[in-house]
Order: sequence, then C-alpha cells, then structure tokens
Amino acid sequence: MLVYIVRRLLAAVILLLIVTAATFVIFFVLPRLGGATVDDLASRYVGKSGSQADIHAIAIKLGFTDPIWVQYGRFVAGIFVGADYSTGPTIVHCNAPCLGYSFINQNPVLPDLLDRLPVTLSLAAGAAVLWLIGGVLTGVLSALRRGSVFDRTAMGIALAGVSLPIFFTGLLSLSIFSYALGITAPGGSYTPFEVNPFLWAYDLLLPWITLAFLYAAGYARLTRAGMLDTMGEDFIRTARAKGLPERTVIVKHGLRSALTPILTIFGLDLGLLLGGAILTESTFSLPGIGKYSVDAIVNNDLPKVLGVVLLGSIFIVLANLVVDLLYAVIDPRVRLG
Amino acid sequence: MTAPQDVTESITEARPEAVVEGMGTQIQGRSLGQIAWRRLRRDKVAIGGGVVIILLILVATFAPLIVELFGHDPLEFHYDQVDPDLQISPKFFGGISPQYPFGVEPVNGRDIFSRIVYGARISLLIAFFATLLAVAVGTVAGIVAGYFGGWIDTLISRTMDVFLAFPILLFALALVGIIPDQAFGLQGDTLRIVLIIVIIGFSSWPYIGRIIRGQTLSLREREFIDAARSLGARTPRILFSELLPNLVAPILVYATLLIPTNILFEAALSFLGVGIRPPTPSWGGMLSDATHWFQIAPNFMVFPGLAIFITVLAFNLFGDGLRDALDPRSR
Amino acid sequence: MRSRRKVVVGALGAVTALVLAACGGGNVASSGGSGNGSGGGTTTDANGVHNPSTQKGGIIRMANSGDWDSLDPADTYYAYAWNFVRLYGRSLVMFKAAPGGQGATLVPDLAQALGVPSDNAKTWTYKLRTGVKFEDGTPVTSKDVKYAVERSLDKTTYPNGPTYFNDSLDLQGYTSPYQDESPDKLGLKAIDTPDDQTIVFHLKSPFSGFDYFAQLPSTIPVPAAKDTGSKYKEHVVSTGPYMFDTNELGKSFTLKRNPNWDPATDPNRTALPDGYSVQLNVNADDIDNRLESGDLDVSVEGTGVQPAAQGKILADAALKANTDSAVVARLWYTAINGDVAPLDNVNCRKAIELAADKTGYQRAYGGATGGDIATNLLPPVIPGSQKFDTYATPNNAGDVDKAKQALAACGQPNGFKTSISYRAERPKEKAVAESLQQSLARAGIQTDLKPFPSNDYFKLYAGKPDFAKSNGLGLMVTGWGADWPDGYGFLAQIVDSRAIRATGGNTNLSVKDPAVDADIDKALQIVDTPTREAVWVDIDKKVMDDAFALPGIWAKGLLYRPPNLTNVFITDGFQMYDYLAMGTTRK
Repeated sequence: MLVYIVRRLLAAVILLLIVTAATFVIFFVLPRLGGATVDDLASRYVGKSGSQADIHAIAIKLGFTDPIWVQYGRFVAGIFVGADYSTGPTIVHCNAPCLGYSFINQNPVLPDLLDRLPVTLSLAAGAAVLWLIGGVLTGVLSALRRGSVFDRTAMGIALAGVSLPIFFTGLLSLSIFSYALGITAPGGSYTPFEVNPFLWAYDLLLPWITLAFLYAAGYARLTRAGMLDTMGEDFIRTARAKGLPERTVIVKHGLRSALTPILTIFGLDLGLLLGGAILTESTFSLPGIGKYSVDAIVNNDLPKVLGVVLLGSIFIVLANLVVDLLYAVIDPRVRLG
Repeated sequence: MTAPQDVTESITEARPEAVVEGMGTQIQGRSLGQIAWRRLRRDKVAIGGGVVIILLILVATFAPLIVELFGHDPLEFHYDQVDPDLQISPKFFGGISPQYPFGVEPVNGRDIFSRIVYGARISLLIAFFATLLAVAVGTVAGIVAGYFGGWIDTLISRTMDVFLAFPILLFALALVGIIPDQAFGLQGDTLRIVLIIVIIGFSSWPYIGRIIRGQTLSLREREFIDAARSLGARTPRILFSELLPNLVAPILVYATLLIPTNILFEAALSFLGVGIRPPTPSWGGMLSDATHWFQIAPNFMVFPGLAIFITVLAFNLFGDGLRDALDPRSR
Repeated sequence: MRSRRKVVVGALGAVTALVLAACGGGNVASSGGSGNGSGGGTTTDANGVHNPSTQKGGIIRMANSGDWDSLDPADTYYAYAWNFVRLYGRSLVMFKAAPGGQGATLVPDLAQALGVPSDNAKTWTYKLRTGVKFEDGTPVTSKDVKYAVERSLDKTTYPNGPTYFNDSLDLQGYTSPYQDESPDKLGLKAIDTPDDQTIVFHLKSPFSGFDYFAQLPSTIPVPAAKDTGSKYKEHVVSTGPYMFDTNELGKSFTLKRNPNWDPATDPNRTALPDGYSVQLNVNADDIDNRLESGDLDVSVEGTGVQPAAQGKILADAALKANTDSAVVARLWYTAINGDVAPLDNVNCRKAIELAADKTGYQRAYGGATGGDIATNLLPPVIPGSQKFDTYATPNNAGDVDKAKQALAACGQPNGFKTSISYRAERPKEKAVAESLQQSLARAGIQTDLKPFPSNDYFKLYAGKPDFAKSNGLGLMVTGWGADWPDGYGFLAQIVDSRAIRATGGNTNLSVKDPAVDADIDKALQIVDTPTREAVWVDIDKKVMDDAFALPGIWAKGLLYRPPNLTNVFITDGFQMYDYLAMGTTRK
C-alpha cells in the first residue's frame, strides 16, 4: 500500500511539472516562435512611454534574457527553496513555497491566491453539499419509483439541467431573483464567513443554487442509472431472499454500491471546481480564483497564471489521488495494476 | 468534467460496458443497425430531439434565406429602434414585434432573431468538427493503447491523464489570446474557427480515448480476434477491419453526446471573449455582450441562452435515445 | 418506459415560464430610486457645490471596479489616483480643490509659491513651507522631495508612472538612487537642494509649463530611510491630513487622520471626514447599485455609471437629480494610419472623415450622456481650445456623396479595403468599430474588425508602427485624456511625430507632420498664455487638415452622488468629483 501511495505521489509531482512546463511553453516559447523578441515580451510590463533602455532593463530584471530552462528552473526552485527578489533599494527573500511576484504590480502571487481561495472554496463547498444531497436523493427516489410522475418530472428537469450553461442560468436567475424580485443578493456580492456567516450565506445563496442545479442534474441521472443497475444484481436478490427489510436492502446494499462511482466523479468535479470556477465567478462577479485567473491571462501576468494553473492542477491531482486511494482500499486488485 | 469545468457533467455515466453487452445480444438475421433503428423509432422523445437537430441544421444551412424572409441583415444597424439616451429599445421586452421577433440589440438595434439564426452556423460548425477531431484522435489513441498494452498503453494513458489534469478552459483562454491574426496561410474568421475547433477537439479527445481503450481491452480477448490472429492477419488489419467495426456503436453514441458538450465549450469561450470575432454573431458572444445589459434589456440575454439550451437539449435527448437503442439494459 | 421523456417537454415549459418571469422584471421604467428618500433634499450653491458644509466627521466609503493602479506616488498614472493621492501626500504644487475651471488652476502646496523660472525657463526654483512633517513627526526637507523625484526616475522599479522628469531633467546619465554611488543617495546633478527649504530643477531645454510637472505625485516627499522600493506602496509615509490605517493590496485600504498634519501649514485642505475606506476589485454594476442604495458614497474612478445604471437613472427623475455630468478632457477618436495604403493619400483619409457617421460613435459611448460629438481634437474643457469642423456633414451622420468625391480624388472611386483595430475588452470601442464598419461601407470602404488585448494594445499592436503597418491597421480606435488640462498636457503625447518609437508603446498612433512638430517647439517657447494657446489651436487645425485622426466624441461621465455627501463638485483639474473637499453627514 505504501509503495502504491509513493508511486502515485511521484506520478502526481511529475504531472504537475509537465503542466507548469506547458504553461511556460505557451507563454514564452510560442510567442518567440512567432518572432517576438525578448524585449517584445518585456515591453508589456513597462508602463506608458517606456524607452528602449527601460524595456531592456525590465527584460533583464524579469529574467527574460536567460535561457528558457533557466527561467523554468528558477520557478521550480522558488517553490522548493524560495527566491530572492529586488524591490529596488533592497533584496527581499520570498520563502518557499514561493510562486514569485506579479510582473504587473509586483505583488507576491501566493498571498494573493490564498486570499482568493476562500471565495472559491465557499462557492464550491456550498454548491457541492447542495448538489450531492439534491442529486443523490432525487436519483434514488427516481430509481425506486421508476416510471412514476416524480421520476419522469425529475428526470425531465435533470435533462434540462445538464443542457444549460451556467452563464445563462446565472444571468437569468440574477435578473429574476436579484433584480426583479430583490430576494437574493445582486451580482458581485461576497462577505467573508468570519465577518458575518449569515451575510456570507445570503450572498452566496444564488450562486450555490444555480451551480448546484446544473451538477445535481447530472448526479441525479447518474444515481438513478446506478441504482437501477444495482437493484437488478444477484446480491440484492440474495439480500431480499434472506428476508432483510427492504429499507436495509436499499440503503445498505443498493445505495452503497451505486454510490461508489458517484464519489469518484464527485472528487474529480470538486477538484476541477476548486481550481477556479471561471464561468460561475465571471457570471456572478465573485472575486475568487477563477476571476483571478481570467484577469491574470488578460494581463499576460505569467507568475499569476502559473500560480493558478499550479493550484488548479494540484486540486485535480489530489482529487484523483484520493479517489484512487479510496478505490485501492475498497478493491485490493487495483494495487496490482 | 469536460472542459468548461463548471457546466458539463461527466459522460462516464453512460457506462461503455453496457453498450458492448448490448451488442453481444445480437439476434441472428437482424443486424445491429436494424435493431437499433427499430428501438430508436419507438422512442418519441429521441426522435423529437433528432427532428430539432435536423431543423437546426436546416436553419444553419439556409440562414441567409430565412433571414431574407423573416428578418433583417444580421449586421445591419437599426438606430430608429433604439432610444438614443437609454440605449435600448423603448418598446416592450427589447422591441419584440412581428418585424423583430426577438427584439433588437441595445446600442445599435441589430435584429436579434437574425443574429441567432446566423449564430447557429458557428455553433454547429465548431461543435461538429471539434467532435470529429476528438473522435478521430481519441479512437486511434484508444485502440492503440488498448490493443498493444504495455508501455504504449502507459504512455497514452498518462498523456490522457495530463490532458485531464489541465485546467483546459484556462489554457484555451491563454492560447486563443496569443494567436496572431494570420497563421498557417489562414486569416481572420477562418483562422479563428479552425483554432477553436483544434483547441476544443484536442481537449476533449481523452474522454473518447478512455472509453475506446476500455472497449478495446475487453474486445481484444474475444474469440474473433483470436481467430483473426491465428489466421495470420496483420496487426493493422486486426485493428481496423476487426476491432473498429465493433467500436462503431459506442463511437457513435459518445460522439453524439460529445457534441452538446462541445457546443457549451464553444459558447463558454465566446462568453469569455476569445471566440469568434465581431461582428460575426455567435450565441456565447451575444450572452457576453448581454452581461452589461441584461438588467434593462433581458431579451438580449434570454434568446441566445434559449438557443444554446434548446440545441444542447436536442443533442442530449437524441444521444440518450441512441444509447438506449444500442443498449436496452440502460432503460 | 419511453414515456418518461415526455416530461422533458414539460421541463422545457418550466424553463420558458422562468424566462417569462424574467421578462416581467425587465421593464426599463422600473421603480428605482426608492432607496434614498432624501433625493431632492440637496442644495447647490452658486459655484455648483452641492450640499456645502463645514461639518466634520464620518467615513467616506469608496469603491474601485479594478485594482488601484498603485498607491506609490512614483508609480501611479491615473487621474483618480492623482486626485486621491492629495489626501495622503503633498506635492510641490497642486490643483486647487475648487469647482469647475478654478479646479484646473495650480496652487502651491508643499511650496510657498509657484515655481520661479530663471535662465529662460530652464531653471525652476521652489521654496518649501516650514513646519510640514511626515506622519512620524520628522520634518519634511527639500532633500526628501529630491529623493522622491530621483526614485521616480527608476522605471524598472516604478514602470507605471509618467516619464516627464526622465524626459525633461538634465539627467547626465543618472538612472536611479538605487544605483547611486553617493552616500546620501542624492547624486542627481539636475536637482539642487542648497538648503532644507529650497529645491532647484535644471532642465535640458526651456519649458514654460514646469509647474504642471511640479504638480505630479512624484514630487510628494519620500523619506529615504523608509523607502522599500516596490513594497513602499504597502505603507506610503503620509504628509497629508490622512495616513494609512490598513492596507490589503488588491482588496481594500483605509485612511485615518494623520496627527502630524498641521492645518496651519496647509491652506488647501479642509479634511472634513475622519477617514476613508476604499474597496478594490468590486463589480462595476454592483458599485452603481450600492451607490443608489446608500451602501457606498463614491465610485472612485470617476468615469461614470455603467449602461444599466444609466438607463435606470435617465428614466427616473429622482435619481437623475442626484447626478452630475462631468465634462472630461478626453477625446475618443480613431487614428487614421497614413502608413497603410491607400490611406497614405490624404484624400482617402478625408473620405473616412466624411463617410463616418459620428452619431453612431456617440451612441457607442452611451448617447448624449456619454459625450458630445467631437469635430476636432482639443476638448472644449481645455482652456484656450476652439471648436471647429473641417469635415462638416449634415447632422454629423456622414456625407456619402462628398466621401465618394474624396475617394475619386484619391484614385479609389469604388472604395477600398482596410482594417479597424480596437481594444477587445472594451465593449464601447467594439461598438465604435462595428458602427464605423457600417457607416464606411456606405461609401464603399470595406473594413474588417481586429480586436487586440487591451493591455498590449499600445505596446505590441496599434501602438507599434511596424505591426500596425504590416497588419494593415488603417483605422485604430483609441482615446486620449489629458494628463492635465492644457494644450501641452493634451496634445503633446498624441501629435508629436518625434515621440513615436519603433519599439512600441506609442500613444501617437498616426500623426506624422513636420509642420506640427515645429509648431509644438514654438509653443513651448512662448511664455504668454493666450499666444501659446492660439498655437495649440493651429496644431489642432493642421492635424485635422491632414486627416490623421477621426474625432469621435468629447467624453462626459454621468456621476452619481448619494445625498449624504457634502461639498460635492466636479473639478476641471481631474474632471470628476474632487476628493479633497468632500465630507459626509453619515455618522
């Protein structure tokens, strides 16, 4: 088991290196292949009316004149041992893990990211609770009352749910519930939990529900299909034949095995979402990781983009890892393969 | 789970094994296609989805004719329809009228109906070709990985892992942003469309790849492959003459289910401002413009949103029906 | 079993019902404005000051839809930031905190009087007031001012600030105090500090308007011992009536009273509120909503409300009563690129001027609320400017026949093809480009639209001459706001062809006329203001005759003022609400 975990962790680290290296390539190598010079890249980070000398000085300061692998090496080294940065009069040490300083406003990236994380975390966690409960419950009930009016209505709505883009449902629900009826917070509202938990929940209510609706739709469909599958299996028939109460059969035997694939997907979905719910945050103007990453890309602020990509990939890899480990616990055969 | 992270659901729900199982229950005398068609024909909702898809394709194809008959040129301004101070149509719900069935855009008064009709072209074109690309790459990679196993399988599977671990939407944003105006002998809208197709296609192939790999793994040990092998058939022949025909059904199902995902992906890119360039209309682009206006001109947001919804729903309904038809167990 | 999907149709119906519910709320003439009951209760004095008052106390709550460009006085280049910086920093000279045109006059701040020129305006001397202290009680000396200017020269540490001192001072190779060999880091020869109260600037060439440079935030004193370079913005040492209390970069900051600010040394500031709180990166539409509901006092950028709020305000007289229209020294225009054929022919450029429908330009910027149709470069708010119309067309809607005549004269009777570039993240510029595409097509001029990322627009695309030329950017949608309201502050950066650098980053995208350059040199020598202003008008006329720029609109901003704010007025110095005089009645 330990060997398995170590092997997976090692694979995860390699994966992260590849992902960040790819980001580097997209931002540095591709434009260079397109004919951009080092100074062209640097000129983005010079203010209004910078002279040729200023541009070149910035290129040197940001390290663009070094070979690409040296620059990438510096980024990786910063994460493990920290890095030194010139503020002008002095040199400051940025402790590991150091994601560097923004090219645009010289703010350190990591504190910025950690600052935004609670927003995305709040959004994802709240929505996840709603969609997991709502989706699984609906799915189970639908499966048990297969063919009933409830089943048909629920599955119809679920199918509509998986066909709706969040940037449409988000705007629609904002215009109905926030602007026309005035019962939910308008776009852009966010109160940190530690400031006022009630306001926090009130501000996030609409994004939670909107996001959860889309996911719940998918989960309801999944749960229903899984339940129908399991309830037809031999071991359920055996359980029933043993004379176990129907309730026990459904919950202990049926639901448990139907939930395993759901948990897998739940882990992956949550991982992806934590890496930045770009569309949801854009639609509701929430100041989370997703909005931060869009701003970073628009500004060509490479250290920020690298930070976001790294964080997002870490969440995905972690989610994958946890899911795999859970599987390994459940099913020992996985460890061999 | 597919690229536009927070909008799409996993397609793994569609249990590929079941499809193969379904194929295993062939009855002699009737081909798989005939059976599936019989089942599909009885599925009214799926047929409904299919009819809507055909209608949408017709609308996209004959967009100029439809606009000629029922609307105005999608690029033409109608200042007379817009209040110069409020910037929106002063009439009911953005100026809905027989002349402008969906009302007009704020500021310039363009006909929203015509723009939605033309938007169907971009949406369907990009989604269709991106899916084609994903299916092509995914199928080849999946078959090769599944059939050969060993280090080839490891290499391809890990590559798929890397793709799945990428925050794809971020990468798409970054990539489309740095693309020049002219490249590879293409320029303007053509270049953009090709690039978006490539980006969407390349970010969704692992989903097909994983499924095909799984199918191949289970088919590889079947008797008919063994038979072909012992008869001395060469590897390419086994891959493409023996394996591939047996994979057509799942490929078809997942391609149909990938199209709506890709429509949402394209809309998301346009919504984030890196899709097709103005003034060419696209649904996601219209929604993006509408974010500044939806408080006072909801029609600008509602109609493009409904267009996306109906299109995606139609493909989902049809894809569901197709899967059920090929796999009677999943009903 | 199949029938389970019949309900899908029902689900569709449910969504449709939701949509229809949304329609109900989409009425333009909504009942907004009920949020503030005292909407009509404001008073306005003869000078245009709303709610004049001397009442102290309260906190003024501001919000910014983006990040603050920088709190460091050496690294900031936004009008709102220059307006606001006066609360925590004192430059040698400043714009007076007064309504309208008076707000564009310079008054001494840290200095006792405006600059004294000598050596034919090549040397400028300022005497500092005595008794001015930093927030820690240390007295401010002329060496602190010199150090502040020195550090602002370092463009690798402070890339975003203006470069006026870099360009005008006789630097003799000096780059930065951080590279300075002298022990006190005051090695710059171009600035003398003969004593603690005197500072002398030596320029490369005569410049009659140096007081405008002395007004720049870079002359706000910085104590060398507290200078932390790019981290200084985390705690700027105050000389003004307020100092930083909290500061979370990118999120928010608050100001509190500075105990070491002595009103006796400062005739310009009333310092009414007890403090300020500023939130950053707030959604722009949300700012408007919160202004209306009374949760917020000032939208600090001062550029006006968003389209949605504009629609609501214009439809509601009570709300409208609480707004001001700021006439801005900003021109939204389209550069006509003479490097791109056939626009190298002046008649083809004239065809553009004549074919364009400027009412479409105005609509793109929000109609009459967004600005007045511009017919030349210099905005009317700039002293000495003159309005004229070289290419008058009926109702400003363009004149297709005249445009076709110009095209014929250019040898392109059937029109030609070119490209229009604009900043992708600016919906108004996109609307301009789309509108130009439509109106130019009437005369046979076919265009395609090319959006580029906003942040790199001047550095890598439109502002880079060889890129613009090789990509055929014949028309480039852009805008320019004066660094300060005078002919030099407005025109120098957009019409002087010698300022165009091959490396990019240019704001002059298209004007290349040696006669214009010569006139600029002439204007800089003239000390008499009316004569100098006439030369700027001449330059304006020459550029229009050359047809290098298609003026769109002179901008206006619709500003909303909650009724609890006192002493609210628009200053022509920054063309937005003045932040120095403002007070609040909210406790």
